[in-house]
Amino acid sequence: MTPDLRVTIAGVEFANPVMTASGCCNYGEELAQVFPLSKLGALVTKSITLKPRLGHPVPRTAETASGMLNAIGLANVGIDAFIKDKIPFLEKQKTKIIVNVAGATINEYVEVSARLADIGRVDILEINISCPNVDEGGLEFGQSPALTEKCIAGVRKVFPRPIIAKLAPNVTDITQIADAAHQGGADAFAVINSLVGTSVDIDTWRPRLTNNRGGLTGPAIKPIALAMVDKVYTKCKLPIIGIGGISTYRDVIEFLLVGATAVQVGTALFVEPDAPVKIVEGLKEYMKTKKLSHINDMIGKVRKYT
Amino acid sequence: MTKPSCEDTTLVRARDLHHGYFSFTFAPYPRVAECHPGSFVHVQLTSTDIYLRRAMSVASVNTRRHELEIIFKVFGRGTAALSRFTTGSKVNILGPLGVGFSKPRSTYHPVLVAGGVGFPPLMFLAQQMIDDGMDPKNIHFFYGGRSERDLVERARIKKMGIRFYPATDDGSLGDKGLVTKSVEKFIKDHHAKERLRLYGCGPEPMLKAVDELGMQYGVAGQISLESPMPCGIGICLGCVVKLRVGGHARVCCEGPVFEIGEVVL
Repeated sequence: MTPDLRVTIAGVEFANPVMTASGCCNYGEELAQVFPLSKLGALVTKSITLKPRLGHPVPRTAETASGMLNAIGLANVGIDAFIKDKIPFLEKQKTKIIVNVAGATINEYVEVSARLADIGRVDILEINISCPNVDEGGLEFGQSPALTEKCIAGVRKVFPRPIIAKLAPNVTDITQIADAAHQGGADAFAVINSLVGTSVDIDTWRPRLTNNRGGLTGPAIKPIALAMVDKVYTKCKLPIIGIGGISTYRDVIEFLLVGATAVQVGTALFVEPDAPVKIVEGLKEYMKTKKLSHINDMIGKVRKYT
Repeated sequence: MTKPSCEDTTLVRARDLHHGYFSFTFAPYPRVAECHPGSFVHVQLTSTDIYLRRAMSVASVNTRRHELEIIFKVFGRGTAALSRFTTGSKVNILGPLGVGFSKPRSTYHPVLVAGGVGFPPLMFLAQQMIDDGMDPKNIHFFYGGRSERDLVERARIKKMGIRFYPATDDGSLGDKGLVTKSVEKFIKDHHAKERLRLYGCGPEPMLKAVDELGMQYGVAGQISLESPMPCGIGICLGCVVKLRVGGHARVCCEGPVFEIGEVVL
């Protein structure tokens, strides 16, 4: 018996729970050279803004213990070039397409989302209210329940298909932000974006990033991400896409057990671009060994101590 | 674009070139035939807690024996960890990556300018030019470093029969001073500048000087840039450089080799 890996989030069915994480696969073209994107549950694009952005000057990445910092600064081609140059490629891919949207103002989020509403092949939007690397917008929205609700509600009005709110871990209580996103009309949560961090070169006394700080990702953040998913799953009501340091199928199972319905693989793609393929295979084998027929049999099934 | 793949291979030869330099040969690496001078591979440091791969330019290939050689210098904890790998270690290599040097016409007189650990891809380029039928006497290899001991693998380079011009900051070998000063004199004195082609690989100040020489004397050519590269395949956007025209380029994908005058250095 082949285990059933299909999951459904907000009425959208995914072939498996493994997605790419935004900012870690550009617009999919490079990864398509490594494996057919049909192997993914979904492809999540880089954040798209209204105007093209070059991002921050280099160095804008720095390796850390079991992970890395980045302050790319939302470098992207902008919505016009995205629709003209990237959508034709994405339309041909046999996987679900999730477009990540970012902005400096609520209007920008709404405007970009409205443009994407016209493109039927864009199955879902993921709203990045949690980027730690831009001066305006981003994290500023994700740290305020009121702004989160307003931002999501604005997008809700113009985008008829499901919306995922990508939440920041850099907050006092992530569930307050999650509830606000829910209130605004979100259909699911992506938990978590990167953690604010920095690193300093002791020879030059300079930060290792020109932005002075950046977002920490990679295996180093997995325990934090798991705890956040657990917290949101316990207190909030929407499905969760777990993100943070996932490199192997074993990591995925941990996220499923604490309540994630699906997961995103990010920094691991830099080390093993074909990681999602290996993860899906690993999940199947694990389920066979454990005699699990459906992936749903694991979601939220962690056996907590009481 | 060559489709990159992750391949398990074995470290079959590890040579300590002294002064922090190492030559590692991996085999069998199934994609050697697709590695060109200027191409690089991304080496996974599996035996350590270091998460990201390390980009290493290809120093030589042996297509018959499926051998791939890299030469590196220990700079940080990644290269230090790599240097501790022993013969027989299993190593995963992502590659081949990047756009390498374009082949010069046989009538050209290539001027290769290597700085320190930038020499391996140029050694590979010189070898390929000879294999393609170029007269070794028309290949000019400038090799600069702080002192004599930084210029490793000299015997091997000289053995190719090419013209070899060492330069050291302390004058312990060859011209005293920056290698680009020697290159400038060579270009100035050369009777047929239109036949010259510059190829540079080394530290950024040296590349900047090569770039400027090319533009100043109207000598076309290419330089190979170095940059920390988390992914190596164009998805992290961490290694961008500014182009004179047209925004950013990724060193890993559009490079690492760029035309002289193309990049803002």
